Amino acid sequence: MATATNPSSGSAHRGVQPLRAGQGHSFLLRKLHSLSGVIPIGAFLLEHFLSNTEALKGPAAYAAQVKFLNSLPWVPVLEWGFIFLPILYHACYGLYIWSSGKSNITYYPWAGNWMYMAQRWTGLIAFGYIAQHVYHLRFSGVRLADHPGASFAKVHHELANPWMLALYLVAIIATSWHFSYGLWLFAAKWGITTGDKARRRFGYVCTALAVALITLGIASALAFLNPKYKYGWTESPSAQTTQSQLQMPIVAASK
Amino acid sequence: MASTPKIIVIGGGLAGLSAVMKIAEAGGKVDLFSIVPVKRSHSVCAQGGINAAKNLKGEGDTTWQHFDDTVYGGDFLGNQTPIKGMCEAAPAIIDLLDRMGVPFNRTPEGLLDFRRFGGTLYHRTAFAGATTGQQLLYALDEQVRRYESEGKVQKYEGWEFLSAVLDSKGVCRGICAMNLRTMEVRTFAADAIILATGGNGAIFGKSTNSVVCTGSAQAAVYQQGVCYANGEFIQVHPTCIPGEDKLRLMSESARGEGGRVWVPKAAGDKRAANSIPASERWYFLEEWYPKYGNLVPRDVATRAIHKVVYEHGLGIDGQPMVYLDLTHIDRATLDRKLEGILEIYEKFVGDDPREVPMKIFPGMHYTMGGLWVDADQMTNIPGIFAAGEAEYQYHGANRLGANSLLSCIYGGFVAGPKAMQYGKNLQAAEGDGGHTAELKRQEEINQRLLSSNGAENPFKIWRELGDVMTKNATVIRYNKNLQAADGQIQRLLERYRNINLSDKSMWANTSFAFTRQLLNMLHLARVIVQGAERRDESRGAHYKPDFPDRNDEKFLKTTKAFFATDTNGPRFEYEAVDTQFIPPRPRRYDAVK
Amino acid sequence: MAERTIKVEIKRQHDPDGTAVVERFEIPYRPNMNVISVLMEIAARPVTVDGKETTPVTYESNCLEEICGSCSMRINGRARMACSALVDNLEQPLRLEPLSKFPVVRDLQVDRSVLFENLKRVQAWVPIDGSYDLGAGPRITPQAQEESYPLSNCISCCCCMEVCPQFNVATGFVGAATIAQVKLFNDHPTGKVLKEERLHALMGDGGIQDCSYAQNCVKACPKELPLAQAISDVGRQVMVQAVKDIFTT
Repeated sequence: MATATNPSSGSAHRGVQPLRAGQGHSFLLRKLHSLSGVIPIGAFLLEHFLSNTEALKGPAAYAAQVKFLNSLPWVPVLEWGFIFLPILYHACYGLYIWSSGKSNITYYPWAGNWMYMAQRWTGLIAFGYIAQHVYHLRFSGVRLADHPGASFAKVHHELANPWMLALYLVAIIATSWHFSYGLWLFAAKWGITTGDKARRRFGYVCTALAVALITLGIASALAFLNPKYKYGWTESPSAQTTQSQLQMPIVAASK
Repeated sequence: MASTPKIIVIGGGLAGLSAVMKIAEAGGKVDLFSIVPVKRSHSVCAQGGINAAKNLKGEGDTTWQHFDDTVYGGDFLGNQTPIKGMCEAAPAIIDLLDRMGVPFNRTPEGLLDFRRFGGTLYHRTAFAGATTGQQLLYALDEQVRRYESEGKVQKYEGWEFLSAVLDSKGVCRGICAMNLRTMEVRTFAADAIILATGGNGAIFGKSTNSVVCTGSAQAAVYQQGVCYANGEFIQVHPTCIPGEDKLRLMSESARGEGGRVWVPKAAGDKRAANSIPASERWYFLEEWYPKYGNLVPRDVATRAIHKVVYEHGLGIDGQPMVYLDLTHIDRATLDRKLEGILEIYEKFVGDDPREVPMKIFPGMHYTMGGLWVDADQMTNIPGIFAAGEAEYQYHGANRLGANSLLSCIYGGFVAGPKAMQYGKNLQAAEGDGGHTAELKRQEEINQRLLSSNGAENPFKIWRELGDVMTKNATVIRYNKNLQAADGQIQRLLERYRNINLSDKSMWANTSFAFTRQLLNMLHLARVIVQGAERRDESRGAHYKPDFPDRNDEKFLKTTKAFFATDTNGPRFEYEAVDTQFIPPRPRRYDAVK
Repeated sequence: MAERTIKVEIKRQHDPDGTAVVERFEIPYRPNMNVISVLMEIAARPVTVDGKETTPVTYESNCLEEICGSCSMRINGRARMACSALVDNLEQPLRLEPLSKFPVVRDLQVDRSVLFENLKRVQAWVPIDGSYDLGAGPRITPQAQEESYPLSNCISCCCCMEVCPQFNVATGFVGAATIAQVKLFNDHPTGKVLKEERLHALMGDGGIQDCSYAQNCVKACPKELPLAQAISDVGRQVMVQAVKDIFTT
């Protein structure tokens, strides 16, 4: 290189290395990470939030939605191929990105820098939460694919614990934020919103999306605690008959 | 000699990079030495633009007219043949820069836009906002980086030139340089060297020049026998922003775009500038020079400001400052054409020049003088070439605005190929060509400095030098003061022997490098003051109230200073000026020429 | 009345392998001083506040007009140019430290050659045929000039890289300055002949994908370059190129 090297020590090149023009795969991996956050993860997130709003209508409606989703063809393929694996990739690569970055918010407390840090922390919260959420509601206790009618009660039971409820609220906010800002980042990085004004405008859209998701999410979560549905069933006699069957596995699961 | 000569270029500003480009393009081998990464060279500071008679404004401008303006502006001290060559080459140089991607301002039709500058009545100055020098330097830097990546140029950034290597016959065979990190001293072989080491503002302490503009390289080869010409011609720029660390330039383009210089008519007027009505302002340049108005050449504007402040006692608030007013021009125009320089004022002074008139004062800006060179840009020592501000030949007694960038590029374009040609015909050196001896000499100088245990701080000596020079050798000169100044510089030279380096380490020791430069500055300062003292006339930037007129009979001559080893000081000769195209005529800007 | 002074703390390191120490200075106050003039003052009297004789501080500087890009350092924690940092606007004691992402040479001087190397890797130049007279350049509209001119104002100070959370040894991210130059040359009528090569270079490791849009670069840039705009424009060019590569190679 042109400038004097450092002959005082035998150590190799210090500092940040120059661009490895045309080398490596980080471009592909990074773009996959960004894309997976929107499709399929983001798409699923929207679906999931919307499905959950069925809880506002009561256990029966919620059960019907669960039943509908489980009636889709190739559910295991959908689950693994479009939800679990992408989330796992997105999370692991995201953690790698986080580990290679170096936040400096102390000296540069600027909006974009806060968002940079928030995106990492919300991602971590979302991932931790999703891991426990999937474990508790998908892989332990009563299998809702087989017993959609038990869905409402299972969630109700989870949220009845105030610590759990708090975790859910925090996670809903973090996830909504992570997704909405992620969408903004996606549009910026993929060259969709190239103008400063376009990015600002889309920023408003994403903020609105975040607020909407947070509102819907919290409303849905609280719906499971609605005293009207205290016992997890509706006034409908048909549902009532299933109640006793439901109690057992949930109790078992909670032990 | 070798069919592909090896050339060393010292200095990575416009002149140096131009030369490098030409040599690399012609297939030569070239090493480029620079104290700073070349992209940080002082050429970045040039603001206003670059002159070329492209005649794109329907004014009937011609290269001859450009030539005439340059010679006239230089008060006929410039040798006319090289100046004519430069002016004729200018339009093609602008085209080349344009092709390299310099973001010159454009007309609606997509052609180059031109502005007016001092000392001409034509729109002849191409410009890229108010950062033309930066844009030009970057364009050349990019081309040289391209050659570097192709292996045609080897850069030595962070190396300081110490001296030329001369063989037993006095022919240059390379250079001796010091690595500014490891402090290693080494010689490098070359068939020819080109000094493109810029100006010498540091000799005046505070100037508009960059920190590296010490004139040290020029002074080093001057002490080795290279002639230094017209050293006494120092351009003091009329509009500078006074500062603690340096004087910052407020470009002539501010006046080119309609800026007006004025002072309150009443001495000691305490009112804010904006509240002083037009009838109580004195637009002295417009009154004294109705034809050129605010766009008189720099020496004329500088003396006028000096006069208004010191003789009429009308400086703002009793301070040595006058107003440069742009507030009558609309914001959008100012931002489009002058944003860069207005930001400098805003950042370093704190006022918005779009709202309040700027306070400015003249400051040391440029040296018209420099290493003496012939038509091939070669000095009197074979193999040592020079280009750019480091040499003397394009500006006579006063440089016109926007001619410096042109002279740098043109000088480099001449020097590069001529150095190649010289190298091709060079006979091989006897023995080692003087390398061992020169290396030893330089290492001994370093050893002496490192073992010196005196009491003098080099930075203090430098400050005193700056004060002496600014006070006695800038706008107005008196023989008595110049003599006294020379005496003071000699005493500083004596004190230098008693120097104390507070840092004796051999790693990135900047004060050590500075101390070496300081000795060279002191020697060059004597060339300036003695040259000024001997020139009993007023011509261009050189003004003596005791000799207020130009004296062509005695002084239409180039001052040539040689270092005399017996007296350890300058010895002077004079050389007739080439005036074969335009006979000298009186230079007046208060009437049409 | 006690004389007004300026208190300065400078992080010093004798050589690249040395350990950093903080030295404290107190120098006489004068109005309108900038950080450079403080360092000059210390050079003329290199004595710490405890009366210990020391060496002048090593730092890079040249134009002192914020156009050469030499004197970037961290002042009170933040990366900026020392010449345009006016003491009157700064909290005291002034804390001067070298940039943290570049190898220290000595004291406040660091090695920023990585930027110049990056400029080579993206071929940041207009590949002209030669420097001989080939007539006028391409016509360029004033609008196009106004878009490219700000990008051409980059002074290579490396502040954008210093403040970027993604620019570090782990990522080897190229940084905003280089990406902005890619836009500048891709937009030029002649420069765009190398567009594809530049975009492919930027797809390599450490390329544009490592930007996370913290946008500190925009805030820190002393020349106010439209860096976010440049990165997203080049981002689009890179994506279009990537899609094109999938279907046409």
